[in-house]
Amino acid sequence: MARYGPNEHDVLIVGGGGAGLRAAIAVAETNPELSIAVVSKVYPMRSHTVSAEGGSAAVIKDNDSFDDHAYDTISGGDWLCDQDAVEAFVKEAPKELLQLEHWGCPWSREEDGSIAVRSFGGMTNKRTWFAADKTGFHLLHTMFQTTMKYDPIQRYDEYYVTRLLVDNGRCQGVVAIELATGKIEAIAARSVIMCTGGCGRIFPFTTNGNIKTGDGMAFAYREGVPLKDMEFVQYHPTGLPFTGILITEAARAEGGHLLNKDGYRYLQDYDLGEPKPEPIHRSMELGPRDRLSQAFEKEEEKGRTIEGPYGSYIHLDIQHLGEEIIDRKLPFVRELCLKYENIDPVKEMIPVRPVVHYMMGGIDTDIHGATKLDGLYAAGETACVSINGANRLGSNSLTELLVFGARAGQAAAEFASEQKPFSSALEALATDESRRIEKGFFSENGSNPESIASIRQEMYQAMEKGVGIYRSEDSLERSQEKIQELQERLMNVSIEDHSYTFNTELVAALELSNMLDISEAIIQSALQRTESRGSHQRVNYPDRDDEHFLAHSMAYKSEVGPPKIEYQPVTITRWPPGERVYGH
Amino acid sequence: MAEEFSIHLKVWRQEGPDQPGKLVDYTLNNVNEHMSFLEMLDVLNEQIVAEGKEDPVEFDYDCREGICGSCNLVINGRAHGPKAMTCTCQLHMRNYSDGDTIVVEPFRAKAFPVIKDLVVDRSAFDRIVEVGGYVSIKTGSAPDANSIPIDKSVADTAFDYATCIGCGACVAACPNSSASLFTGAKLAHLNRLPQGEPERKKRTIAMVEQMEEEGFGDCSNYAECEAVCPKGISISAIAEMRRNYMKAALAGEEV
Repeated sequence: MARYGPNEHDVLIVGGGGAGLRAAIAVAETNPELSIAVVSKVYPMRSHTVSAEGGSAAVIKDNDSFDDHAYDTISGGDWLCDQDAVEAFVKEAPKELLQLEHWGCPWSREEDGSIAVRSFGGMTNKRTWFAADKTGFHLLHTMFQTTMKYDPIQRYDEYYVTRLLVDNGRCQGVVAIELATGKIEAIAARSVIMCTGGCGRIFPFTTNGNIKTGDGMAFAYREGVPLKDMEFVQYHPTGLPFTGILITEAARAEGGHLLNKDGYRYLQDYDLGEPKPEPIHRSMELGPRDRLSQAFEKEEEKGRTIEGPYGSYIHLDIQHLGEEIIDRKLPFVRELCLKYENIDPVKEMIPVRPVVHYMMGGIDTDIHGATKLDGLYAAGETACVSINGANRLGSNSLTELLVFGARAGQAAAEFASEQKPFSSALEALATDESRRIEKGFFSENGSNPESIASIRQEMYQAMEKGVGIYRSEDSLERSQEKIQELQERLMNVSIEDHSYTFNTELVAALELSNMLDISEAIIQSALQRTESRGSHQRVNYPDRDDEHFLAHSMAYKSEVGPPKIEYQPVTITRWPPGERVYGH
Repeated sequence: MAEEFSIHLKVWRQEGPDQPGKLVDYTLNNVNEHMSFLEMLDVLNEQIVAEGKEDPVEFDYDCREGICGSCNLVINGRAHGPKAMTCTCQLHMRNYSDGDTIVVEPFRAKAFPVIKDLVVDRSAFDRIVEVGGYVSIKTGSAPDANSIPIDKSVADTAFDYATCIGCGACVAACPNSSASLFTGAKLAHLNRLPQGEPERKKRTIAMVEQMEEEGFGDCSNYAECEAVCPKGISISAIAEMRRNYMKAALAGEEV
């Protein structure tokens, strides 16, 4: 698409996944006069939303209620969710999913033609809408095709953003590298929405695709915007060993069992209820993800997991569902197992182990997606509103990116409609950034050059050891020191590939610097939270401590050294903190 | 650990859209059966970078789980390689043996110009969707009562067509470089749903004509597209598209 004159837009969205596309449509519908840019480091249909399998939660059946969905979400999040945000979320959820339906999303149907819903972990009722087990694909595809009908939406595919343009206390665009040419340029905008997803790639074993390097979180963090609740990292209980490819929770919702090496449904030993042949809501295999992943670790300590070439694992058994149900409801599970493990789940058990899956934390935003920096908004996994608290429930995240993608789009459109003038300093800021990249990565850096691959490997080790499912003060402190050392060593990286077209080495270096900054925020937030809550388990502090920690951690970047952590109270509306009870 | 074996590769190398390309020979001695085809190309690139004589081979990939539609290679003359219902990223080296020669080429078509090496520009697909591959009529503001009830069999069929990942294998496999399976699948998904029905004629005509405009060929029922489609999209989509197009065009109705 040809562009004329300087790159100027009203609203600029970084990221073309679910949140980004939903935001783009919301901007176009809020004010059709606005020019909209979607800047993405990949073609939008390759965004990681495409990999989401299980479904999207919203109350739709008569026997369900908004209050039930809210309570499940809040108790699932171990009371760290902001309840005003959760209430807005559950109410707007069905509206968003029906909107997608109207745009042509092929939701799976019941025999009577109504929307089909399935059970999901931690949910009291069946309320997870699905498109077989390719929900993310269909959701993203529907929105991608829908964006095509809006002329004001202009795509910058394969542009890698390197920083925000901030002047006069206001975010006014980004600096980006056009990957095909290597050109570094400013793209100005009156408001910017970060929709860059999570950062699972800071860990060695993750369901996240290669692109999930937390770019947006790092950009906001460097501009003084706090990262909220970063210590809460979700381990999904069922990833394939070695590849980390996810086997959807829907496999358990349809009746799959988790078995230890003796073929025993071990979850019954961890206060998650009695084993019944049929799946029971909020019980056993339908417990929340944090509790299931923690049970795996305990089972491993007892020596009741199976040893494999890629670490220990347990079995997910869906054979009893039969070929017909598996093919109809879980076709992708069968496809993944056959293609990647050479296993047919119709006749064999699936080896699985916990795998890093999702960040509950992210850029601190209010209920409209606004950050503390004027003109900057965020939505989706990269943001923390927060509706997920200390542990997200499966199938809330696709709904979240719709509800808060739309809200952020609307708010950013209203902000941009004020048409505040651009600062004259933007071009100079872009030139500075271009120099920083040249100087930082292309010049000969001393006599002891560092390699990107080795720094990345050491980061993996530090994160896995320090911020695993159970965390100790010792290991956190060691990881903290390691990350600081790696940040210094990154300064000595010199890029060998000096070409301008598709310089993947340069992008890898920039991504690595983002990941290291986020890592320090995760570790420091984890270190200072001396309690156990949801996905954050501290070995010497096994209990939840509402007196001190019923609060969001806010990590502010420091000039040197680890970030400063402050706390912000949790918003409680109607559900006072209580005990999380499953299996009863 | 798996045993390593050797393969010979003939890989299409092309500097840019307007430059001539050619097949270049490489031999890899450290391939094992657990590698995916793309991991094997990573190993090739490591070897090329280590030798330092030429640029690594450019190829598209992302999800590596067969859902994003990026990886697009013609392997020994067949789009996505020898296995049915499989994307390039899901193809494993266990399908090959020591000493095999493998020819790797881009998805070739007039409407898919080569950008570099194995990467082609598939934006023509976007432009086909841009002219009508969506629902633009107001379908009521949700949530009024329930959603539109849709017969399960209709919903299931629409779902099957909606699984198209837009990889372009259908185009690469077609002797005419036709995009009929892609366009047909998009139409068959939206046209059969109640929310897509009101724009059926307009959508069909616009998308079919854009497909021609982009330089894709016509369909002569070779059915090569159906055979290589990694998602198993049925060629019935094309028959349906033609029927709808003829009806809409011949009726001469206002569309």
